[in-house]
Amino acid sequence: MSDKPKIKVATAWLGGCSGCHMSFLDLDERLLDLAKLVEFTSSPITDVKAIPEVDVGIVEGAVCNDENEHVLRTMRSRCKVLVALGDCALTGNIPALRNREKLADVLERAYVESESTQAGEVPGAPVVPKLQTKVRPIQEFVKVDAHIPGCPPDADAIWYAVTELLAGRQPEWTPTNMRYD
Amino acid sequence: MIAPKEITLTIDGKACRGTQGQTILQVAGANGVEIPTLCWLKHLSPWGGCRVCIVEIQGSPKVVPSCSTPAMDGSAIITNSPRLQGLRRLTVELLFSERNHFCPMCPMNKGDCDLQQQGYKFGIDSIRYPYLYPSLPLDLSGKYLGLDHNRCILCTRCVRTCDEVEGVHTLDIGNRGVKNQIVVDLNVTFGMSTTCTSCGACVTACPTGALFDKAAAFHGPLVKCRQTRTTCSECPVGCGLVVYTKDDRIVDVFGDAESPVNRGHLCRRGRYDTWAEPRPRIRQPMVRRDGKLVPTSWGDATRTIRTLISASNDWQNAMLISPRVTNETIRALHGIGVRFDRIGAFVADKEAGICTSPEFSTDALVRLQDADAIVLVGAEPSRNQGVIAAKIRTAVRRRGARLVILHSRRSDLDTYADISVPVVSLERKFWKQVGDVLGSAKRPVLIYGPAAMSAVGVTILDRLIKTLSSAGNGGEMLAPIQLPTSTNSLALAAAGVEPVEDVSTWLAVQPLSFLHIVASDEPDGGARLLKEPHVRPLLEQIDNIVVQASYESELTQLARVVLPAAIWCEKSGTTTNFEGRTLPLQAALPPTGEAREDKAILEMVFA
Repeated sequence: MSDKPKIKVATAWLGGCSGCHMSFLDLDERLLDLAKLVEFTSSPITDVKAIPEVDVGIVEGAVCNDENEHVLRTMRSRCKVLVALGDCALTGNIPALRNREKLADVLERAYVESESTQAGEVPGAPVVPKLQTKVRPIQEFVKVDAHIPGCPPDADAIWYAVTELLAGRQPEWTPTNMRYD
Repeated sequence: MIAPKEITLTIDGKACRGTQGQTILQVAGANGVEIPTLCWLKHLSPWGGCRVCIVEIQGSPKVVPSCSTPAMDGSAIITNSPRLQGLRRLTVELLFSERNHFCPMCPMNKGDCDLQQQGYKFGIDSIRYPYLYPSLPLDLSGKYLGLDHNRCILCTRCVRTCDEVEGVHTLDIGNRGVKNQIVVDLNVTFGMSTTCTSCGACVTACPTGALFDKAAAFHGPLVKCRQTRTTCSECPVGCGLVVYTKDDRIVDVFGDAESPVNRGHLCRRGRYDTWAEPRPRIRQPMVRRDGKLVPTSWGDATRTIRTLISASNDWQNAMLISPRVTNETIRALHGIGVRFDRIGAFVADKEAGICTSPEFSTDALVRLQDADAIVLVGAEPSRNQGVIAAKIRTAVRRRGARLVILHSRRSDLDTYADISVPVVSLERKFWKQVGDVLGSAKRPVLIYGPAAMSAVGVTILDRLIKTLSSAGNGGEMLAPIQLPTSTNSLALAAAGVEPVEDVSTWLAVQPLSFLHIVASDEPDGGARLLKEPHVRPLLEQIDNIVVQASYESELTQLARVVLPAAIWCEKSGTTTNFEGRTLPLQAALPPTGEAREDKAILEMVFA
């Protein structure tokens, strides 16, 4: 065992389906190799919510509401390298499909008109994070240092990006190792 | 003609030859230098809109689009520099940011989208510009085509194809600036369009998922499909097809760009009618027992037919055959003909006149491609041979060819014609007009179809041939082009099979006791026979009718035995087009159920 201090990593899950985190777990036995080099701090996987000061922050999902934006800005302020994981973080992707509609119509459709709803109402409690008018990718809010495209990025793409970053290099995407889907 | 001047230039340091007037992209392509493109398509006029093909010319501070910049003698071109790479990436990023390009929910995902491929090529892992997320409509009102403006990059490949290949100019660009949008006609939906012919050429040209085939959408990427090259069975033009199949079903059908007949273009019938329409198939042989058709084996069906035919006299046996059959099936008729008193081909309306004197115009398409005057007599390419109609439209609209139409029914081609009149007895005034319009024609083409075969029609045809022969060069007699309606009717006629136009008279010649109808893959299962006057009662009088067809129809209800026939994409062999070209048919799918090819069925049953 090396006595080098482990690199601290935090991950966050904004507006997305968690598929990118699932894909991260698809690293399978490579996770064991990764665990020798890094320490996972806050993450949906560890279920630790408060983001500490870390070396690498990995963010899945788009910014859909005020809480997403708050988490993203906190992550940015506490990490040295911020990695956008997956298409929602990069393009808005599926959450951004609602951008074509008015926000009030979207809420009405989801909470009142949806087929499975009986006597529903749009939630207005202050504890529920307020939806933003448009869903936006994270680089429109903060500086992003590395991107991992894909919906979700497959484990090989994640592994490539993570190992490159750990080696102190910027991942270089080519037609052979990148996908938008 | 002066030969174009040869020029030499260097591209990326490589000495390249070209001719004056060629674009930088053409010279680069001819010399094996690849330049990325997006809005450019080989057979269309250059547009220069996407700016992906930009290059640097040494000594000039500007970058220029190589697709629309003429190559200059002695110039030095750079196609790949960090500056160009940066600009190309920027251009494609702006395209991505402009509309809603979400790859995971696009039918062209995973390999069929040029924009996605360019994104990968330029290593675009994120977009540095704010997304506009415009709210744009999706038009699914077309019968076969879908248009999703959210995925459009305004490359105008569809607009140019619609204008330059199909010649109808249904599509164009509307609005201004950032509100630019593809419009159908005067901004209506595809379903409302009066000019769209549903040829599907725009879908073939579209680099993204903006225009797509509804029946093919979300059935998997075409790049992963098996491709089979075959020949369209819908009309006698014989267009080349590429059939995309996956898991033994058709995903899509496109024109074969390699085909000398259609060069990748198709009409609605070839592109969609054959597969995007649900038609109930006959899947196994059936024999009538106690008044009901019951499924049975091939062996039993064959034995039943043999018993029926041996119980009847040869002079009471007849066969009616569809002109959609292959040349091989036609040849097989020779061997089995002795069993039948007569074999007739049930050709299209008024087509027998043409089929009695079959003539193959070997260079018809080349002449049409080059014609400066086109005369149509009694042919209906708009309805029956869409690719010919496209060639006529583009000849008129792009090359200024004169067009004279003597029609039996009006069609959209009349709009492009200098003169358009019905095929009736014509006055002196008409002939004066014709003389004025065609007088200066150097390369006239005369196409005549079934409706020209009336007494008046033939007289007009003769006089037109004389007029055009004196107008054309050299005073040589003009060879008119015969354009039948049915797929392989000329090959059937050339093989000596009698073309039957009036089925009721043909049936009534002698009372029949056995009639074998080879309907093959007639789209209506051969039911058009019953639409002719007096045919149904005559058929009802025949004790034993065998129907060999691909699709269920009213005709099968009259049958004693029903045999399942393979359809166009399940057939191998050859077919002969109106020019006399022998074109290959290649089975793209195994036959459905127990269906077999017509030739195999005839040989098995009557051998």
